[in-house]
Amino acid sequence: MREKFLKGSSIHNHLGYTEIYLPEKDFSVTSGFTSDLLSDVMANAEEDSVLMTIQAHRNSVAVAALAGIRAIIICSGRKVPADMLTAAEEHAIALYTTEDNQFTASWKIADLLEKS
Amino acid sequence: MNENLICTDLHNHSCLSPCGSLEMSPAVLVQGAAARGIDILALTDHNSTRNLPAFAVCCSRAGITPVFGLEVNTVEEVHVLCLFSELEQAEHFGSIIESSLPDIANVPDIFGDQVIVDPDEQVLGFVDISLFSSSSISFFDLIPLVLNKGGLVIPAHIDRPGNGAVSQLGFLPDLPYSAVELLSLPPTEKTYGSTVISGSDAHDPSSIGRRSFFITGHKEPTFETLFVALREGQVFCSSR
Repeated sequence: MREKFLKGSSIHNHLGYTEIYLPEKDFSVTSGFTSDLLSDVMANAEEDSVLMTIQAHRNSVAVAALAGIRAIIICSGRKVPADMLTAAEEHAIALYTTEDNQFTASWKIADLLEKS
Repeated sequence: MNENLICTDLHNHSCLSPCGSLEMSPAVLVQGAAARGIDILALTDHNSTRNLPAFAVCCSRAGITPVFGLEVNTVEEVHVLCLFSELEQAEHFGSIIESSLPDIANVPDIFGDQVIVDPDEQVLGFVDISLFSSSSISFFDLIPLVLNKGGLVIPAHIDRPGNGAVSQLGFLPDLPYSAVELLSLPPTEKTYGSTVISGSDAHDPSSIGRRSFFITGHKEPTFETLFVALREGQVFCSSR
């Protein structure tokens, strides 16, 4: 069975989420993880996933890099500070923002993955 | 210098903290603090007390009153300063906290090395598990635990967007804190009459002393003075 995956570009193209940073190479994610506790992300997130969170600061990027997460969606309209963007560039982790909350972003990502 | 003002800074990191600058040995912290006129100084690395022995020696050399502490990351990811008068008390408490951390390895390329050093900046070793993780102790259990051990317990930067009581718990619970640390003063959050302090949260030499506070109405810069001043609200925050 073919593994379901989502091209990074579709997070913007299909969901209209704002691209804050995109790595040079397009990427794929195979699952999602939703959490606002970074220790939970560290311990439980899968590799090649997309993280939905409201934790808009650079530590989220460090934890994502540790866990092998490819993209972070900052939910509920929270703003990305400059040092978070710098960290994302350093670790080549895509960053998006949306007005959607974590629940809504999660089902939209799940829906996209299901249809992939 | 006004002899009735005791310059105090209770929130500082060393090279042991994953986010701490490698240059920030206890020796550099203490020298920087001495140069800025700090009389009472705490070292509060994340979830570990392993650089406190070096810190004790450095403070003794510099004539600074040491406060032995750590910044615990609770299970809710609230940062809390836990401070003790005696090195051994702090080390014992630190070992409890460290043993409650999950077995997740530090990745130095991402988080930086977690370096244990001696008073003369010689490397003694590294902490292998990630000190960035959260301990398994809840905020609500930590407060009485520290107080019962005779320590001071101070929720850190409660007004910060991450790792503060308000960001993680929604509000600051009404508990018998020794004091509450804020980034912006005067506080916009309820602090239930707790004494409000500022703290430098220094991670590198350039930020040493940036948000120190002053104890008023005391002469001797001792832990007992600190204890009484926080209880009685005899503090003055001038920074920012």
